[in-house]
Amino acid sequence: MEQATNGKLNKKLLQKILNFYFIYALLTLIVVGPIFYIVSNKLYEEEADEDLHVLKKQFYAFTKDELTIEEIDQWNKYNRDVKIEKFTGNKKDSLFNHSYYDALNKDNEPFRVINSPLKIEDKWFTFSARINMVEKENLIGSTVILFISLLLLLFLGFFIITKIISSKLWLPFYKALEKLEQFEIDKTTSVKLIENTTEEFDRLNKVIIKLINKNSSIYKSQKEFIENAAHELQTPIAIFKGKIENILQRKDLNEEQFKIIDDLNNTTSRLVKLNKNLLVLSKIESNSYTEKQQVDVYHIIQNQISFFKEQANSKDIDININCNEKVIVNANSFLVETLINNLFINTINHNINGGQINVTITSKAILFSNTGVLLPLKTEKMFERFSKSNPSSKGNGLGLSIIKKIVDANNWSIKYSFDDSLHSFEVTF
Amino acid sequence: MKILIIEDEPEILESIFTYLKTNEIHCETANSFENAYEKIMLYNYDCILLDLMLPDGDGFSILKELKKLNKSDGVIIISAKETLETKIEGFTLGADDYLTKPFHLSELLVRIQALVRRKQFNGSNIVKFNEIEIDTSSKIVKVNGLKIDFTKTEIDLLLFLIGNKDKILSKGAIAEHLSGDMADMLDNHDFIYAHIKNLKKKLKEMGASDYLKSVYGTGYKWEVE
Repeated sequence: MEQATNGKLNKKLLQKILNFYFIYALLTLIVVGPIFYIVSNKLYEEEADEDLHVLKKQFYAFTKDELTIEEIDQWNKYNRDVKIEKFTGNKKDSLFNHSYYDALNKDNEPFRVINSPLKIEDKWFTFSARINMVEKENLIGSTVILFISLLLLLFLGFFIITKIISSKLWLPFYKALEKLEQFEIDKTTSVKLIENTTEEFDRLNKVIIKLINKNSSIYKSQKEFIENAAHELQTPIAIFKGKIENILQRKDLNEEQFKIIDDLNNTTSRLVKLNKNLLVLSKIESNSYTEKQQVDVYHIIQNQISFFKEQANSKDIDININCNEKVIVNANSFLVETLINNLFINTINHNINGGQINVTITSKAILFSNTGVLLPLKTEKMFERFSKSNPSSKGNGLGLSIIKKIVDANNWSIKYSFDDSLHSFEVTF
Repeated sequence: MKILIIEDEPEILESIFTYLKTNEIHCETANSFENAYEKIMLYNYDCILLDLMLPDGDGFSILKELKKLNKSDGVIIISAKETLETKIEGFTLGADDYLTKPFHLSELLVRIQALVRRKQFNGSNIVKFNEIEIDTSSKIVKVNGLKIDFTKTEIDLLLFLIGNKDKILSKGAIAEHLSGDMADMLDNHDFIYAHIKNLKKKLKEMGASDYLKSVYGTGYKWEVE
């Protein structure tokens, strides 16, 4: 799953970089292509002109003086590309392109031609030499082929380079990303990232480590604060409780005073419970219950069933326990007991008079269902601390968060459902 | 009955002292390790209440000293430390009971009584109150010499009430005594009504006097006539 998301991200980044390279390469070649054609065409023409001048010079140097007017026809007969023609009247050299019909190819062929004035036996003629040029279409064609293959080569190169970059250079980045995805502040103790020489990634790693360490230490001190606060509260609460119990014994209390003291007494008890629950919660979070053993879930229920029945009786609740299979979990026995007891007592505390409780144990799960309010509970904040479905209830809103913490600590799962006017909590081991 | 309270927190010390002194108990106090050591060297106590965190040493050292001195005083640890490890260490070093702070004073009182009963050399496990007689080991209750069928919870409740005779007990204290650690999860204490009703009914049927009185509707008191 994570691998897949990684792959997708990976591709996206690759694609983005590649796209820019592709566009740049394409634009460059589109602009350079015609320029290349024009320049090479020009060079080719210049080369041809030079050759024509050479031809002319050779003719003037070696042939001109020996040639007579009578021999001109003969010369023209045996030379195809260097001819002596009737004088055009132009006394200067002229160079131009011209097409001639080629009888062999049955096609017009482009030629570069030089016309130069020539004097034989005091008579003016025109010396005309020509060189066959490459056809324009052919030149354009080969330029296009050249550029397309260049483009393809570039694309291939870019692709391979980017692939290598992403798998080698970007590796630390993806690893860091993966680590961040797996990071859970209450579980991960330390994060190790790949060391690397790329400055940016090195900075990123340092920032990540710094951020994680800072958050972890804040989280830790917050956790410790709760635990310490709960611990420190115990003594003042004990003092308070002792004093109240002693006042309660005074013979001169009237009914009104007695009720007030008794209320204070009950409130102190709630404070004690709240404090104990906070301690349990922070201890689970700080992994104080690590010792594991084989725990028989049904056995735990059996141990406390008389207590639960006693509680249920005062509300006329009917308890139904179905256990066909033994569930033995490998966990901390205190935590399993706390989990089961909390779930069980919830079914009683939130039940109605004359209600019903069903406990079903299967090989992998335990299900507690009970009658209660006729509406499903709000699930989104259900497992958060101090979230109470009924704000006026005497519960302290920690029961379900303790349950959730225990479930999470053991990698089990818990599910709430409301069906057929029964509220159900199912823990899957 | 002579007991020693070793506790450095003066307010808690005073509360325990006040509650216990009215119940035929002679209390002595010590607020430091040194102070306590002196007392255990010189005297014998039926029961020692021991706080684990003392300004000049920890309570475990007292247990070790008691062992060295070959004393058999009963010890109840009273501590805010509630971890299993601390409890196990306490019991291993010879403590007889462990009560986590904060606790009900009524609970402390019956724990002391139970411990002293167990420690007595004549092996008497009988608690007597006028016509009522409870054998704590065989769990038999007799009224005027006749056996009554009591449940375990009812005997527990009866011992708690008699142990705290003439004291007012809140519903909460009774509920917590009967349900132990599970009490932390309860959001009401109504379940004790049924037990109290049954107890009263059974005692009345056997002709016992009505010692158990309700106080202003929310508390109970085992009244000595």
